[in-house]
Amino acid sequence: MNEGATTARGAEPREPRRKKRGALNQGGRGAWLYLLPAVVVYVGFLIYPAVSTLQFSFLDWDGIAPPAWAGIDNFVLALTDPLLARAIGNGLLLIVFFTVIPIAVGLLMTALLVGRVRHGTTFFRVVFFLPQVLPLVAVGTTWRWVYSEDGMVNQFLELIGLGHLTRAWLGDEQFALVALGLIGTWVMSGLCMMLFMSGAQKVDASLHEAAAIDGAGPVRQFLSVTLPGLRKEISIAGVITTIAALASFDLVFVTTNGGPAGATNVPALLVYRLAFNEGDIGAASALAVVLTVLVVVLVGAIRYLAREDS
Amino acid sequence: MPTTPGRGRAAAAAAAGTAAALVLSSCAVLSTSVREDDTPASVSTTVPDGPVTLRLAFTDDPPTQALVDGFTEQHPNVEVELQQTQFTDYIKTVKLSMSSEDPPDLAQYNPGAMESLVPAGLILDLDQHAEAYGWGETFPSSPLESLRTDPDAAEYGSGSLYAAPGALSILGVFYNKSLLEEAGVDGPPQTLDEFDRSLEQVHASGTTPLGNGSLEVGGFQLWNALLNVLGDEDDYRDWVYGAPGASIETPAADEATDTLTRWAEAGYLPEGTNATTDIDAQADFAAGESAFLVTGNWAAAELAEEMGDDVGFFLMPGPTGEEPPVASGSSVAYAVSSQSENADTAAAFLDYLGSPEAARIQLENGFMPVNPEAPTEGDGVMGEVNAGFGGVVEEESLLPFPDFATPGMVDQLTPGIQGLVSGTTSEEEFLRTLQEEWDEHHE
Repeated sequence: MNEGATTARGAEPREPRRKKRGALNQGGRGAWLYLLPAVVVYVGFLIYPAVSTLQFSFLDWDGIAPPAWAGIDNFVLALTDPLLARAIGNGLLLIVFFTVIPIAVGLLMTALLVGRVRHGTTFFRVVFFLPQVLPLVAVGTTWRWVYSEDGMVNQFLELIGLGHLTRAWLGDEQFALVALGLIGTWVMSGLCMMLFMSGAQKVDASLHEAAAIDGAGPVRQFLSVTLPGLRKEISIAGVITTIAALASFDLVFVTTNGGPAGATNVPALLVYRLAFNEGDIGAASALAVVLTVLVVVLVGAIRYLAREDS
Repeated sequence: MPTTPGRGRAAAAAAAGTAAALVLSSCAVLSTSVREDDTPASVSTTVPDGPVTLRLAFTDDPPTQALVDGFTEQHPNVEVELQQTQFTDYIKTVKLSMSSEDPPDLAQYNPGAMESLVPAGLILDLDQHAEAYGWGETFPSSPLESLRTDPDAAEYGSGSLYAAPGALSILGVFYNKSLLEEAGVDGPPQTLDEFDRSLEQVHASGTTPLGNGSLEVGGFQLWNALLNVLGDEDDYRDWVYGAPGASIETPAADEATDTLTRWAEAGYLPEGTNATTDIDAQADFAAGESAFLVTGNWAAAELAEEMGDDVGFFLMPGPTGEEPPVASGSSVAYAVSSQSENADTAAAFLDYLGSPEAARIQLENGFMPVNPEAPTEGDGVMGEVNAGFGGVVEEESLLPFPDFATPGMVDQLTPGIQGLVSGTTSEEEFLRTLQEEWDEHHE
């Protein structure tokens, strides 16, 4: 029953949309005029820079002097950079903290809040969503203090008698990346929760009632009714947070700048250094292209895994 | 975007067409750039009488605003429009603005940006102005040489002059007098061994001996200060300036690196140094959490304000204590655009930077004065900084910082020191990585 209900829900909005598309077709060329502003902005600020980056990746260029054709040299250079493998590995590990844990936390919070808590839902939402509103540079600076030698984390550990564990978390080669990842968890969990809460509220209440009549408890109801209903939201959350993990820059830049000794290097940081410290626009663009391909592949995989069976 | 497939294709084609056109046009712009002529057609040392407007791109303030004010006070007909960019964006901003159709007349010098701008001929060769004004006499030689380079900006330290210094800085050691007294150390050390023993004594007294922030530049500045006193000045200069065949894999650099790791292993550095910024390290030192701090004169005014008479300054001492003083330092310098129509007025501003009036402004703003004749006595720690600086300038031993060597060197130095401090990078590995970066840049 549950499965049938989900399929119905998933398929339901599709039909009318297709019909509407047909209606719009008769609008003719006039419709394009309305799209023009968006197309101009999209092409000018997204397509053009992306194509330029691809073009630069085949040039030997410092940003000022006349560029020379470099063929695939930049890609060879970028891909053989001894720092790259570790940086990509770090980015992949960050997915655990930026994506996997926040989605789990978001689902848990949704299960606890939806349909039960009537008062204070808004309060929880605001509190959990707040990290999303704050600029990551401010977040990073604040967390650097939290993690510092005499910061809040260590004060707390001292307080509960675990003083022997204290360290400068971001200055420790073993823990820096995990500490950084947990900042990501803190930032992303609220976003996931918001997405899931709004998704869960769309699920028809009668489905929950029917499940309850069939004897399903809260856990069963969540797993069989709410969770399947959140497939799209989970997929979206997965995509957004995975991109945030792989393309993370600002957070790393202000907290560790890749340190200590390269333990928290991420690909975007290497792109920045190549472009703006070393002035090697070609190699930086090549690395950016490689990073983009990686992101597209992973995002594609997530979308594929979360697809609705048709 | 609800559209029919056919229209979608049309849109895609249109978008692709537009993008292609934009790319092609950008190509056209790129390929027309050629090396500009960077030598002035004529040189004059007089400022025109009529109204002149100069535009100046810069990042460091102080001292820029105060120096400009001092100059325009002398020349009321000159107006200077200031364009400030914060440091993290400065390199790319100045590269773009100096290579634009309408560049500013003056720009604060930055080695990373000059690397591209000088070979493009966009920075004015100042040799003729230097001769006309006699800058060889006005400006001290060691800061001036770092502003000289060949036309390809491959080797610094010789060649044409591309900027003039507007304020100088120097690296040294600050110390907390009462913490030293508590540890039973009498006064600042005279030799490197004495310094070593002082650190040991302070450590034994339960205080962190050496404040340090290795998250940013503090770590390699400590290494830099050790290398300055342990190594040969000319070898180091050659390496930083990019002289052919120069190397950092020297016995002296080995010794400096060994000293640093020995101090880290002995617990002389704060435990969290790899996660500490320079400004936090300075704040910790001011709060009495460490006894010594290797940093520059730029910290002196704030430390004097917070610590009063309790703070002192000395230059990193050499092995025997008999060596002439040597230290790293840099300048806030300004370059002139080769495209400027007011190059002579811009050069008059550069000349002003070496004047006694400018020296007063430089000192007031916490910098070291450019004019070597300027009186540098002062009270307390400021006086000690000034005295140390005076000695180094007299010996012509103000050396460039190691991150000057290549634009990417800072990205090897910072993580390298972090690895040394945490014991995961060996001394040989550290120096080898620096040399690899150097070789790659100079190949």
